[in-house]
Amino acid sequence: MTETAAWWSLLAAPALLLAGAVLAVAGDALLAARAAGRPATVRTALRPLLEVPRLLAAQPRRLPAADRLLWRLGVVTVPVAAVLSALVIPFGGTAVADLPVGVVWFNAMEVLTWAGLWLAGWGPNAAFSLIGGYRFVAQGLAYELPLMFALLSAATAAESLRVGDIAQAQHGLWFAVWMPLAFAVYLAGVLAFSFLGPFRYPAGEDVAAGVLGETSGVDRLLLEAGRWLWLTSGAAMAVPLFLGGGAGPGLPGWAWSTLKTLAVLAVLVWVLRRMPVVRADRYVEFAWVVLVPLTLVQVLVPALVVLGR
Amino acid sequence: MDLTALPLRAAAARPHVLLVTTPGGTATRLAAERQLRLQDLPQARTPADADVLLVAGPECRGLRPAIDRLWQSLPAPRARARAATPGALPDALERCRAELAEPRGLRHAEHRHENPAGVGPDEGPDAEFGNGRDERDGDGGGAHDGHERHDGHGPDGGNGGHEGHEAGEYHGSHDSPGSHGSHESPGSHGSHGRHGGHESHGSHSDHGDSGPPWGLPMAGQGEDRDGLTLDQLHVPLGPFLADWPDGLAARLTLQGDVVQRLEFERPPVGGGGSCPPFWGEPWARAAAGERVAAGEGARRRAAAHADSLGRLLAVAGWAGAATTARRLRDDLLDGASSAELRPGVRRFARRVGRSRTLYWLTRGTGVLTAEAARDAGVTGPAARADGDVPARYRTWLAALVRDVDRLADRTPLDPAEDGPRGGAADGRWPSAALVRVLPGLLEGAELAAARLVVASLDPDPDELAAVPREVDA
Amino acid sequence: MESVLLAVLGVLALAGGVLVFRCDSMARATFALLLSLCCVGGVVALLGLPYLGVVTVLMMIMEMVVMAVFMVAYMMNPAGLMPMSMLHNRRGSLAVGAGVFAALVIAVFLVPWPARRGGPPPDTTVQVGRALMGGQMLTMIVLGFVLLATMVGATVLATRRGRYDRFGDALDRRTPRDPVGGGVGR
Repeated sequence: MTETAAWWSLLAAPALLLAGAVLAVAGDALLAARAAGRPATVRTALRPLLEVPRLLAAQPRRLPAADRLLWRLGVVTVPVAAVLSALVIPFGGTAVADLPVGVVWFNAMEVLTWAGLWLAGWGPNAAFSLIGGYRFVAQGLAYELPLMFALLSAATAAESLRVGDIAQAQHGLWFAVWMPLAFAVYLAGVLAFSFLGPFRYPAGEDVAAGVLGETSGVDRLLLEAGRWLWLTSGAAMAVPLFLGGGAGPGLPGWAWSTLKTLAVLAVLVWVLRRMPVVRADRYVEFAWVVLVPLTLVQVLVPALVVLGR
Repeated sequence: MDLTALPLRAAAARPHVLLVTTPGGTATRLAAERQLRLQDLPQARTPADADVLLVAGPECRGLRPAIDRLWQSLPAPRARARAATPGALPDALERCRAELAEPRGLRHAEHRHENPAGVGPDEGPDAEFGNGRDERDGDGGGAHDGHERHDGHGPDGGNGGHEGHEAGEYHGSHDSPGSHGSHESPGSHGSHGRHGGHESHGSHSDHGDSGPPWGLPMAGQGEDRDGLTLDQLHVPLGPFLADWPDGLAARLTLQGDVVQRLEFERPPVGGGGSCPPFWGEPWARAAAGERVAAGEGARRRAAAHADSLGRLLAVAGWAGAATTARRLRDDLLDGASSAELRPGVRRFARRVGRSRTLYWLTRGTGVLTAEAARDAGVTGPAARADGDVPARYRTWLAALVRDVDRLADRTPLDPAEDGPRGGAADGRWPSAALVRVLPGLLEGAELAAARLVVASLDPDPDELAAVPREVDA
Repeated sequence: MESVLLAVLGVLALAGGVLVFRCDSMARATFALLLSLCCVGGVVALLGLPYLGVVTVLMMIMEMVVMAVFMVAYMMNPAGLMPMSMLHNRRGSLAVGAGVFAALVIAVFLVPWPARRGGPPPDTTVQVGRALMGGQMLTMIVLGFVLLATMVGATVLATRRGRYDRFGDALDRRTPRDPVGGGVGR
């Protein structure tokens, strides 16, 4: 059984999440350096971290008729939701709070970024920023239902919404093995709610970085941190949902959790640079006409298996 | 003191550079892009994200207000430089970074530009950064404070009086308060001046319950494609926007993010207008009677296509492939041989040309038939492609692969042969025709698709700036 | 502890509700409503129904974001810049509000509340599921279909372009004629 950890885990979980995000950023920097013909060294990997002091020193942005309250609220929401979502993810055998409805909690926190990004796009009162915010809503309407069905597949197969129970239920056979479609859709969903790589449509180059376009200083730092924290959180959640959680031979549970999380994270980071941005005008139709029916069938599979047990 | 020195050093170690090209500055832009890539200095997409404003290319009067407005929206600490020639680049960047590292850089915006860093050798004395410049910046700083007192609702007076003269002419065109925000929008760097005009208005009106806010009339509505009758938003596109033909300014009427109408403004004249455009140079020289090898033309054309592909892929958001395209371009311009380039080019052409995802995302957008192209005077790859965006990038890829095989061709270049964007017709460079067909292709498209279509035709700002000169002569 | 939290959430929910009518921007009003509804979700979760509470928060965020989009698009409050008021027909709404409040308060005291037998189970989610899907299965299925049919019907009625516009008068065009291509097969 997954147990609830001591009070200090409330500090340890965000720290671990941050460490994962830093590793992801470093990995992305290495891949970028290799593509650009720069030497891939440790220095290269750590250079993006210079962003933190740089952005802390930068002047915050003031725009005419900006809705500053909503803007700040949106900017803060994204990283905070990412950290909150990580509270239910078991690390080895312990989670900060192993809620009986952990999967729904994770989903709710992820949906919180809808509000956060829409507000971050709305706040500055600038056209491209606004378009970026709306783009995330359009993207959300496309990725959310397939993602929900993917989460449901895992929950149905385990007959529980508790994340710990789902990890336990996969003794021997990972859900990723017999529900590959749900796993793939889930991973695409992770990229979508962290608006990175092929799903950085809300912050696309064609609208001059969209929701990020008008932010500078701490605001930008929070949004950028938020998307990498979300990527890490999504990768970590994939482990108990589809990859058997902390179970594995030889090593303790926390080590397996870390290894699997890093593996998923590596795959996600690798994909980031390898695909063009998927525009919502194409993806919405694909999601509703192809992905929703497919994932519905995918939910049916574990439902039948559970009934037949 | 130390507390501020550390972040400043960090900003100076990896500043984000907003690279702006003036007409005639293509060679400098290419050198700058290469240097930024190799030194891992990220290119900023918007002034909000930039620490350094780097202007590549010769002085251009028409674009000066736009560049000044860009500079005003850079957050402190910041630095600014112009490099007129590729040779002035390293020095300009170095001086900017030194300026960023100084602790006084943190003080907001005031008198920090006594000396422009990296003035190119051919720059007139104090051409752009006179004392007036400093005063204006001083105003900007002061206005920020006033701004605070008004709790953010006060207009950013920094732009207020300063561009008022320009504001007048656009005054009537803004019927949407929503578009007000767009004036500060990242893509619309050229817009702040117009903004200025409204501000002076806004400050007269009380922001009470009565009367339109900011002295602007209510948004107009209009028919649209989907029958939603949404408010119209007037957004300036360009003259400076990431991966956009620099200097080309368009006025866009949006409903939602659907383009209702698009009007290009007259391209700015000046700067490099007198010398032939960088990409068309071998053909211009051959036309002037000089003996130019066909291989040189092929190399320039291949590099131009790689540059265009890099821009298109960047707009499509394919970071990896865009970087590859730009590296191939730099290698081509470095003089790499066919044998060295062939494997890389073939691999790139295969990867992009056969990408199902890219095809899925771009198919059916911006269809330009050969017939329509001929009627508009478009020649070159855009006319040969006879189709949508994928047809055009595949034409570029095919031409790229073909040209890379011909780099060693010593036969003389025929000046009538197609340049990267087609042949010059009656003394005009081919890009003018590309801009002519754009409004028809873009109306009714979504903004993202519109950007793709522009990038897939990729008019060359140098050629656009050169057009009037050609006609005059 | 729990009652303190309940009180705080209740007050916040009320404050959010009041804010909806005090804000002069569509976006702020919508998100004040979201604050209020999220607090209601918290109250439900605290009352021992975590599933319903978290799902309320989840659905309300999505709904409010989508609602904000439509409110901004259709209300006469362009881009949220123009001050606007959420108050209409003050006297009538005041009367209705007071009446409903009074009726509910009276109901609280008049309804014969049952006394609790036994303790609550550790996981109430299963109970909620049984209550909804056990005896009421037929109701839920019918409701689901009615909702779906309503959505599809509303969309069809609202769309200006029908299939004859898209596929031609004889419905023989293979690829529909749309202003913008979709992501599947065309």
